[in-house]
Amino acid sequence: MEVIQQLIGRLHPLVVHLPIGFIITGLLLQWYDRKNHEWSKIITMVFLWGFISATIASVSGYLLYKGEGYSFDTVKYHLWFGIATAIFSLLMYFRLLPPTKMDFIKRMPVVLMSFLLLFLISFTGHLGGNITHGSDYLLEPLPNNIKTFLGLGPELYEMPTLDEENWEEAELYTDVIQPILNNKCVSCHNAKKEKGQLQLEEENGILKGGENGAIIETNDPENSSLYSRLILPLEHEDHMPPKDKTQLTQDEIAVIKAWIAHSNPFDKKIGELGLKKNLFQAFFPKAEDQTYPDVEVAKIAKDTISALKKIGLHVEPISENNNFIKVSCINKPTFSDSDFDLLLPIKDQIVSLDLGETQISDAIFEKLGSLPHLTFLKLDNSDITGRNIESLEGLEYLKSINLVGTNFQETHLPKLKKFKTLQTVYLYNTPIQKPQKVEKRKPGELFFDYGGYDLPAIATDSIVY
Amino acid sequence: MNSLDRLIKEKLQRDIQAKTRRHFIKDCVAGMGGLALGSLFMGCNSFVGDNKKGKIALTERDINPLASMAPPFPAKVKSVIYLHMAGAPSQLEMFDYKPTLQKLNNQACPQSLLEGKKFAFIRGVPKLLGPQAEFKQHGESGNWVSNFLPHFSKVVDEVAFLKAVNTDQFNHGPAQLFMHTGSPRLGRPSIGSWVTYGLGSENQNLPGFVVLTSGGKTPDAGKSVWGSGFLPSVYQGVQCRSKGDPVLYIEDPKGISRNLKKSTIDAINNINKKEFNEYSDPEILARINQYEMAYRMQTAVPEVMNINNEPEHIKEMYGVKPGKESFANNCLLARKLVEDGVRFVQLFDWGWDSHGTGHDTAVDLGLRNKCTEIDRPMSALLLDLKQRGLLDETLIVWGGEFGRTPMQENREGQEMAYKGRDHHGDAFTMWMAGGGIKKGASHGLTDEIGFSALEGQVSVHDVHATILHLLGFDHEQFTYDFQGRPFRLTDVEGHVIHDILA
Repeated sequence: MEVIQQLIGRLHPLVVHLPIGFIITGLLLQWYDRKNHEWSKIITMVFLWGFISATIASVSGYLLYKGEGYSFDTVKYHLWFGIATAIFSLLMYFRLLPPTKMDFIKRMPVVLMSFLLLFLISFTGHLGGNITHGSDYLLEPLPNNIKTFLGLGPELYEMPTLDEENWEEAELYTDVIQPILNNKCVSCHNAKKEKGQLQLEEENGILKGGENGAIIETNDPENSSLYSRLILPLEHEDHMPPKDKTQLTQDEIAVIKAWIAHSNPFDKKIGELGLKKNLFQAFFPKAEDQTYPDVEVAKIAKDTISALKKIGLHVEPISENNNFIKVSCINKPTFSDSDFDLLLPIKDQIVSLDLGETQISDAIFEKLGSLPHLTFLKLDNSDITGRNIESLEGLEYLKSINLVGTNFQETHLPKLKKFKTLQTVYLYNTPIQKPQKVEKRKPGELFFDYGGYDLPAIATDSIVY
Repeated sequence: MNSLDRLIKEKLQRDIQAKTRRHFIKDCVAGMGGLALGSLFMGCNSFVGDNKKGKIALTERDINPLASMAPPFPAKVKSVIYLHMAGAPSQLEMFDYKPTLQKLNNQACPQSLLEGKKFAFIRGVPKLLGPQAEFKQHGESGNWVSNFLPHFSKVVDEVAFLKAVNTDQFNHGPAQLFMHTGSPRLGRPSIGSWVTYGLGSENQNLPGFVVLTSGGKTPDAGKSVWGSGFLPSVYQGVQCRSKGDPVLYIEDPKGISRNLKKSTIDAINNINKKEFNEYSDPEILARINQYEMAYRMQTAVPEVMNINNEPEHIKEMYGVKPGKESFANNCLLARKLVEDGVRFVQLFDWGWDSHGTGHDTAVDLGLRNKCTEIDRPMSALLLDLKQRGLLDETLIVWGGEFGRTPMQENREGQEMAYKGRDHHGDAFTMWMAGGGIKKGASHGLTDEIGFSALEGQVSVHDVHATILHLLGFDHEQFTYDFQGRPFRLTDVEGHVIHDILA
């Protein structure tokens, strides 16, 4: 008896398609026949069969649930919705029958019932699919970014970061290895999904390995599939993570290799293992690059840049995704004070300006004062004398001024000392006399580089051995 | 003009004759589809060229392959001067001080060091050879420099040393190729080509990648060390000479005036413009642009390559020898080129292969002379760039293709009259200086006799990764598609050497 029950239960995946077919057919025919009402009898019959097959499906489903040891929690919605589908098919059948005594049914709008049935049959089917294939079966093939957008994405873990000072105190496994696995592997190798029967969520799963056995050969990364699969060519069948998933970086792979090579400890600190800092370079927070102002500026349209390039200026963002711009007159030696107005549309974006070897005069300083984020300024080999250079005092980010080969006068030098952020002024080849003793450069303080370096002749210069 | 008209007419007729109906239909199968597809993509790019058929989309690079481009990340430097000592200088006489090696001088090399090693010339059991120079610590950094380089030891605080660079090549050609193209075999683009491809050139009157050689010979690996490999050939290094015409065949021929030259080029360009109006092929615009650049280069190159106008004290500092081919001249030229916005300047100095086969290649004689030849110029280059405010935006790299053995060479197993050292790539010294470099740093340590690295070993790929990093590239992302896969300068390896970065 039990065998027959089980057998009927296992026919459930087959039988369920009958009510799906009948009910969908019924609904389609209803829609097709919505004006002429010529097929009513047939439609009524279809829904009767729908009810009968749905009932059989429900019974077989119940037997399957009993026979295969599913928990009630897993199947309960599917079960109730399946029964509801059967009941509403029956109601639909009665609703479509020629007039009878059951008046209350006749009062129900057919369209509403049709939509309800459509919903029931689809949703029940979907729930059933979830039980056999897993709840993320349907959307799994979507690209990760779309999944994330839909709120279904793999949980996003923070990249492991180490502290510049205490990095040796960090635990290699807990603070580096597991976060890497969480980021790049666990979305498929977890307790629910367990691809290749492998779980990488915690120590036990990692040590247990997957369907091909252990994934770590202690001290032998080359023979540990946890490492060796990472370094297979991307096209290789066994390469992990699969080609379309986010790959591990070289630095991450190197750390995993080192971990296995050092007996894959789960509780040792990086310092205890004697690993080099170099290995973890990628995990230190990137030092903030303080070269340019920490300010957001608007992006300049490509057309504006092209227009400036057309007149011979060298205009380029400082990097691809940076809105700051550097400008150089290297190809436009005729640049003069009056040309400065061309730069006004990008005045907020200019951080580096090279007006070396151009026709500018001291009148340029007042104009330069209108470049709020100017950081590096080159005026070398021009005729400026430094009059009005105080106009630049208000520039909050100015770090360096190159005055090499100009006519810059010593009287204007003290003005520069008032500049708050200025670090270097290049004064080589100007009328300014190099002091007898040049003080050493101190970090964070203004430094005048008078240049004029030389390499005095020494006896060995002319000796030939 | 009559003859020119005739010529054009004739060409058109030949073209038409060459086309048959079959040709046309055959060509069109893919062509028509391509045309339709092309029109779909119009407007994707920022640059739009006009011709009589309407607007066509072109990038700036279509028209000028050397147009400058922003790097992916903010760069520390915008130019590179690479000083290559071809033949491989001996680190043991210049930077890598090994007092223990002195003590072991003339003792037989332990067998354990020789096992599994290949040498170019050493056979049997060689003897260890102590340093032939005297070493001292210099500057605030206290880095060791030998008395072969008295001037350089004064600027030692400006540079960062890599004491344990490793290469897997032990012959000059492959090792030089490896050092400059990231592969010991032919066919890859050189670093300078990668960089000009990625960043273009700022000065539109000069080439973006200039090569200068000295020492009497070009490197063993030939011109491939500045070749463009699979990159478009416009990115290859332009070899300029410090003696005679800087670039060959750039002078106007005798009897041809500058004006006539200009009108010739204008005429050619007009024909090309017509051609472009007809076929809208961006290659034609690139060609027009190159004629114009060549014309501009005719005046710009001789100007920048002329060191005679430099003040006397500068010439003295470098120790230049005007009119001759010398490393000193090339160093001064390198500064001038970088000052004028050239992206990558590559210097090769030949004559560093100190095998001890004669006076010139003895590590205590010939090598010392070579050191004297470069000592003043390279130190002057550092100081001159510094005083002009250019050192912060330039990277200087110094090195050979490998290093030399702590053992004295015993060619054919014979003891040799002069002291020499064989090729050795396991651990040798390079240095870098300039923007983004940690001044006075020293990274890497070799064992007591300077044979292998104890710590801080870096590979040639690491050096490349670091150079690209300073120029604003992620060496893993900077690729070029060729033969169906993306290629990188660093292939599948390379780590940025953070220890020498500021």
